[in-house]
Amino acid sequence: MTGNPVKTKRTFREWLTHLGKRIYLEKERYILILPGIVWYIIFAYIPIFGLSLAFRKYMAKLGMFGSPWIGLKNFQRVFADPAFFTSIITTLRINAGRLIFVFPFPILFALLINEVRLGRSKKVLQSIYTFPNFLSWVIVASIMINVLGQRGLVNGILSGAFGIKPIAFLGKPEYFRPVVFATDVWKTAGWSAIIYMASISGIDVEQYEAAEIDGASRLQRIWYITLPGIKTTILVLFILAVGNLMSGGFDQIFNLSNSATLKVAETLDMYIYRITFKGSVDFGFSSAVALFRSVINMLLLIVADRVSKAVGGSGLLG
Amino acid sequence: MTATTKKRKHRQLRDRFELMDGIILFFLIIMAIMILFPMVNVLALSLATQKEAAENPLMLFPSQPTIDNFYRLFQDPRILIGYKTTLLIVLIGVPLNMLLTTSLAYGLSRTSFPGGKFLFFGVLLTMLFNGGIVPMYLLMMELKLTKSLLSVLLAYGVNTFYFIITRSYMMSLPDALVESAKIDGAAEWRIFFSVILPLSKPILATVLLFYAVDRWNEWYNAMIFLRRNDLIPLQLVLRTIVMDSNIVNSLSIAGPRVPRFTEGIQSATIIVTMLPIMCFFPFLQKYFVKGIMVGAIKA
Repeated sequence: MTGNPVKTKRTFREWLTHLGKRIYLEKERYILILPGIVWYIIFAYIPIFGLSLAFRKYMAKLGMFGSPWIGLKNFQRVFADPAFFTSIITTLRINAGRLIFVFPFPILFALLINEVRLGRSKKVLQSIYTFPNFLSWVIVASIMINVLGQRGLVNGILSGAFGIKPIAFLGKPEYFRPVVFATDVWKTAGWSAIIYMASISGIDVEQYEAAEIDGASRLQRIWYITLPGIKTTILVLFILAVGNLMSGGFDQIFNLSNSATLKVAETLDMYIYRITFKGSVDFGFSSAVALFRSVINMLLLIVADRVSKAVGGSGLLG
Repeated sequence: MTATTKKRKHRQLRDRFELMDGIILFFLIIMAIMILFPMVNVLALSLATQKEAAENPLMLFPSQPTIDNFYRLFQDPRILIGYKTTLLIVLIGVPLNMLLTTSLAYGLSRTSFPGGKFLFFGVLLTMLFNGGIVPMYLLMMELKLTKSLLSVLLAYGVNTFYFIITRSYMMSLPDALVESAKIDGAAEWRIFFSVILPLSKPILATVLLFYAVDRWNEWYNAMIFLRRNDLIPLQLVLRTIVMDSNIVNSLSIAGPRVPRFTEGIQSATIIVTMLPIMCFFPFLQKYFVKGIMVGAIKA
């Protein structure tokens, strides 16, 4: 009994020298990862701990980590700001709309592209579909401002074909969300389809051959073989999209919105941008909102990750 | 009797298939046109005269193409500042991204060393939780990096997703190669530079392209951190020109040398901003696809 502490002490020392040896043996590896790790510490972890400003009163002279603690006062003010709650509802409405109006398009794209048996032209089509994804939202929004303008392409077609008077698509709050969904599909659907196409290419070809011998129609094959074959992928991506309900889309919203549509465009990220960089500067207040946002996003993603693992995907972090 | 009906049935099926093929192709082409039309329209406007654009805003190619809009655009000093800034960001930023990402990916491709799992988990955690722009801005202020291009270059160092796909590719390389190099007495960085990196070329090409596009498209960090008129990336120049002319139009303020044909100038700016991506993308598309495939198999 009494020998035990001595024994642990010795093993601890042994363990320590062993550890030292292991570290020494791997010293080159540590040097190799040093730049990357230092980057993560400075530009990812210091900002994370910087969110402690949510519990401080920011004073420029004292800095991010020196400002005095004030408890939950910032949060009290955040929760008293109606614009904060409005921004949450706006975010949820836009992102829930995306689940309904944007999410299905890549699946449709993938199913259609998969059904066409045209060697080279398939590649050309796919290039066209995936290209807009690599344009920034600044470019896409500029194109859309042009195309959706009073004298733009869409209004030209509408008035030419149906005699409809020009519509200010980007200047009316009621059109803002449809424009967000439509431009999102325009930019991202072709690219997102690739994940589903990869999933489709993993389906056993024999199933299709057997179905063809049994005389199944094309629609039947899509419905009974292709869709069940990519069910897990659809489900996993849907769950991850639900996990992003409170985030995402800042670039798009910021560039497509203007003073006329601000009322329906102020998502949580837009709200954070406004209170931080426009008007009176109060970094403690901003940090409180930012901390709230980060915690909610993390919780949503963890839940999404768990659910996606439960339905058979490998989840967010592999 | 049965043979003929079977044959007929088969023919019917095939006929129906061909009709379906036609319908699907029709839809696919319509979708391609919906994507291309706006871009071609912008290109046409950028090459058109004001008169023609006013008469026919739906045009797909101008009858008398002119580079007048581009000529006037390049008289605006901002566009050259934009190109200069963006090229600096791409040419310095992308090598920095690649260096940080690949060395970290190889270093953490095995986590059996002391602290390895902890560090790897710490990297992954940033995908779940981040500080966002507010503390990042304060950090840049405290490091005295605002108004310096370094802020934009450093703020985007490692993209954790690209790190993961690079790392999983390196993990899939046969261990024997690394082992034999070790027996020859090669140091880790020798192995990294002369064994791992050459073998990882396919994934490096993909990640390099992703970083290049991200850097080319960078505007937000520059807008927040830089706030300098002589250091604006191209994307922000485009944003300013599009927003500016909208404001000028609606308030009818006669600013200094406001270009008359604003749509033409705007379109020319859009074209100039997307030109490199437009030129390179068709040849490089397969590398981009490869990247998302690796990611898709992971996810």
